[in-house]
Order: sequence, then C-alpha cells, then structure tokens
Amino acid sequence: MVEVNEELIKRLERLSLIKLTPEERERMIREVKAVLDFFDKINSLDLSNVEPLFHPLAESRSREDSPITGLSQEEALLNAPRKENGFIVGPRIYSGDQS
Amino acid sequence: MIQEIQRNLTEGRLDPESYVEAYYVRIERREAKVRAFITLRPMEEVIEEVKRSVERLRSGRHGRLEGILIAVKDNISTMGIRTTCGSKMLETYVPPFDATVIERIRREGGIIVGKTNMDEFAMGSTTETSYFGPTRNPWDLSRTPGGSSGGSGAALAAHFAELALGSDTGGSIRSPAAYNAVLGLKPSYGTVSRYGLIAYANSLEQIGPMARNANDLEVLYSVIAGPDERDATTVSAVLEKKEVRLNGLRLGVLDDMMEVSEKPVKSVVNDVLNKLSSEGSELKEVKLGYLDYALPAYYIIAMSEASSNLARYDGVRYGYSSGEEGLWTDVYSINRGAGFGWEVKRRIMLGSFMLSAGYYEMYYIKALKIRRLIYDNIASILKSVDLILSPTMPILPPKIGDVINDPIRLFAMDVNTVVANLAGVPAISVPAGFHNGLPVGLQAIGPYLSDYSLISFARELEKITGYRDLTAPE
Repeated sequence: MVEVNEELIKRLERLSLIKLTPEERERMIREVKAVLDFFDKINSLDLSNVEPLFHPLAESRSREDSPITGLSQEEALLNAPRKENGFIVGPRIYSGDQS
Repeated sequence: MIQEIQRNLTEGRLDPESYVEAYYVRIERREAKVRAFITLRPMEEVIEEVKRSVERLRSGRHGRLEGILIAVKDNISTMGIRTTCGSKMLETYVPPFDATVIERIRREGGIIVGKTNMDEFAMGSTTETSYFGPTRNPWDLSRTPGGSSGGSGAALAAHFAELALGSDTGGSIRSPAAYNAVLGLKPSYGTVSRYGLIAYANSLEQIGPMARNANDLEVLYSVIAGPDERDATTVSAVLEKKEVRLNGLRLGVLDDMMEVSEKPVKSVVNDVLNKLSSEGSELKEVKLGYLDYALPAYYIIAMSEASSNLARYDGVRYGYSSGEEGLWTDVYSINRGAGFGWEVKRRIMLGSFMLSAGYYEMYYIKALKIRRLIYDNIASILKSVDLILSPTMPILPPKIGDVINDPIRLFAMDVNTVVANLAGVPAISVPAGFHNGLPVGLQAIGPYLSDYSLISFARELEKITGYRDLTAPE
C-alpha cells in the first residue's frame, strides 16, 4: 500500500504535467485515496497463473506502405493558438539558468 | 423511421422545410431545459442539405441515410464543425478532417443536425462532468440522461434527431440508451473504425449507433461498420444480417447482475423476462463470477490508457492555452491544469500513478489478468446460451447532483456494462419498460461479431413490448 499524501500528488502532477491549486491538491489526496482503496480489492485474488489480456484483438493489420494525402500546412495549423510564418510558436524547451 | 421519412420526402408528402422545421420546433421548445447539444447547426443549412437529398431520392440513386437527421456525440471529429469533447480544452477546436464514420454517413446522405453534450472526454456516466453543464433527462428533467453519450440519448428521447452516434468505453452508449428509452449498440470491438474518435481508452471503446427503433439502428450500424485502413484495429470480417427467433432462443440471465440491481429495475426486467419466456425463449440463470473485480479492473485499464492518450493536449498545437510564457513543462502543466476539468485530471493522475514504476504490476497488469478471466467466462457462458441478459443499469436514472461527487458511487453505475468492453463482445440496450415514468433498459450481450443478431433480438423484443419510437412527453 502506498501512502497518499501531498508528496505523492506533487509527483503525479509532474508525471502528468498537470498543475493543481493547493485546494485541488487537498481534494485530490482524499479522492485518490478513496479510489485506490476501491482498486485494492483486486489484490485479494490469486492471479499468478493468469496471462494478462492487453487487448480484445489478438492481432491488428497494417495498411499498404504507400503514401496517402495528409493535412495541408494551413489545415494543420488551423487550431494552433500561436503561429508565425507557417510555424507553431511553442514554449522554451530549456531554461537559461540550470540552477 | 428512416423508410417512412424517405418515402414521404420522395413522394412530396413532406417538403424539406416543414420536415426540418418540425425537429427545430421541438428543439426550440425543449432544448433550453434539456441541453442535449453543444453545437446545433443552423436550420437553413440543414434544409439546404435535405433539399439535395430529396433530389437524389427522386433520381433513384440515393444513399441509405438520405435526408435523415443525425445527432453526433461531440468526441467524433466533424470537418468544419466544432468538436469539443465536452471540454474547455477543446472549446474552440474545429477538426480539419472527418472521422471515418462521419465520412460514411455523409456518403450515404445522412445529415448532421448537431454535436451532442457528453461527459468531458467521455469520463463519466451522467453527462454532468461536461464543461458546458449537464444534460437533463427529457423523461424527468430533475434526473440525468446517463452518460457519457447523454446528449445523444436525450436528443433521441426528445425527438431532436432521428438517429444518433455515441461512443462506448464502459457503457457510455448503453447507459443513455437505457435512461432515455431508446436503443444503443456497443459494437463488437474492431467492427467500427475509431479513426477520428477522440481517444479515451483505445482497447475498450467503440463508436456505435443509437436509434428510436431496431430497424433504424440496423441501418445506421450497417453504414458505419466495416474495415478502415486508418484504424489498424478494424477487422476485415464482413458481418451478415441475421434473424433470431424468440421461440427456442437460449437466454442466460446474469444472476450476479440481477442481484446488484435495485428493486424497481429488477421488477421491470423480470416482467420482460416473463414475456420472453411466454414467447418460447429458454431462460436460465448464469453467473459471470468476478463481478466485484470487473469494475476496478475496468477503471484501472481505462485510466491507464487515458493518462497516455491525453498526454497529447499541450495547448500549443491545438487546445486551450493560458498564454503563459516560460519553460515547456511549466507552460504545459498550467495549460492542462486549467484546460481539463476535475474528473479528467483525477483519471489522468490515477492512470499515471498506476503505470509508474513499482505500481504497474500491482494495478495495471493485475487488472489485465482479471480482464482475461472475464473474457474467458463470457466465452464459456456463451457456449451454452445464445445471448446473455441483464439490466443495462443497476439503478434508475439518478437525480442531477446525486452521484457526481462520490467517485465510487459513480463507478458503480457501470457494473453491468463494463464487462462487454473488457471482453470486446457486442452488447445492446433495449427499452424494457418504466418504473414511475422512468425508463429501464434491458442489456443483451452476444458472442463476438453477433451484432446483427443482437439487433434482430431487439426487433423481436420491440414486437412484444411495443416500445419503439418513444418520445418523452413534454
């Protein structure tokens, strides 16, 4: 059993890239705890000889490896909140000071 | 009633204007309270499309859905029509392409009347987690229409459209079908393309048809089903239409699902079972086993897949942007923190937790093992019966606000429906009757690829119950 506390929720915020407010964090602690209690029921079953079933289909098919028409540049940029000269403007990918 | 509408349009007994206006008059009268739509198309546009359909109908060269008004769940991409997924994250998102099912509907002359309300990213069972506010059940405005495809179900119950599309990850088509006294099919996994469906949990979900009678349901399913190069999980099997007869049909009644259902639901379903028995169907009690474990297993798998699927929303390529400057991890976290609603955040974070080192084996893998046990048990039950029956929902439609703040009670609503998604088999919900004016649905689960048998069963059931083309009174 894991202890659901502020530290865990902060770790999950980093893993999920979701920033919570302090009030949301409090509520998340309570509800994650309740849901995990509910999930822990599955640990009472002995499943050592059961193979996991990842997907209802045994296999999937691939299409012919031939080009198809995709979106045009204009279409692909249609929903981007910030764009410049046909490019999407994104945030910085590293911080100048690594302190 | 597709056939009747098309005949009337062709023969001029119904002109395009008054035909479309009748739907919009109903919408005008009730939509302010029901709120089935997130986006409704302008009536004039719809009339123009119907006019072109009428020309094709009269030429004799027309599609199977020619002139029919269809409501589409707002997580199915429609080119040029806003597709929000019930989320602030996608409030202004307009897809530059059509989902495969939409392409097929348009090709057959079907006309989209609007995009329907839903739980945010399909995460919910009552349509209350929508960023746009809840949809209300036309049969009782103080209650939820079920979910997550609640807008589609309510649109049919109020007759805002003739047909609807929903998506079903753990019951999201069948729940609103049951609660709105309409029909809904969760198809066999892989028979309907998911291309253009905004993903929640890939291994569980399917787009499926919803309708006011079994014949219409069959037409819509036959249009949307079929292999698609753009979805590698579609199967190439061609399904043949099949008729079942109630006389001699072997029906397994799921004892454990009956047990967990509340009394009024059980009694309505028992009445239908008695009718089936008088028609000569052979009823026997069967037990699924592991029902207590199905629900946690389902939610563990769904949340794990969701945490990975919803990683794509960054507010940079599309979606909600806070406009903040800074390092990418901070900007993404702020955009996602503000763009997603509570239920979505909780499910993503729980999914991230269960897939993280040290917990993967403890939750995710164990859930997949339970999935195997359920898959095997359903297959084994279906060796001795033709179809498996149960109530679709264990409780009557809850009041707005009643279950939404208690995750465990919310999850418990899906106990009867999730097993079909875990196993990939088809399941249908058909109106079974009413308790104090509130609809109750009967669920039938069949073997893999038996979708047309389920629809045929629904048609036979319709004959004995008389429940078809029901509209909730105003």
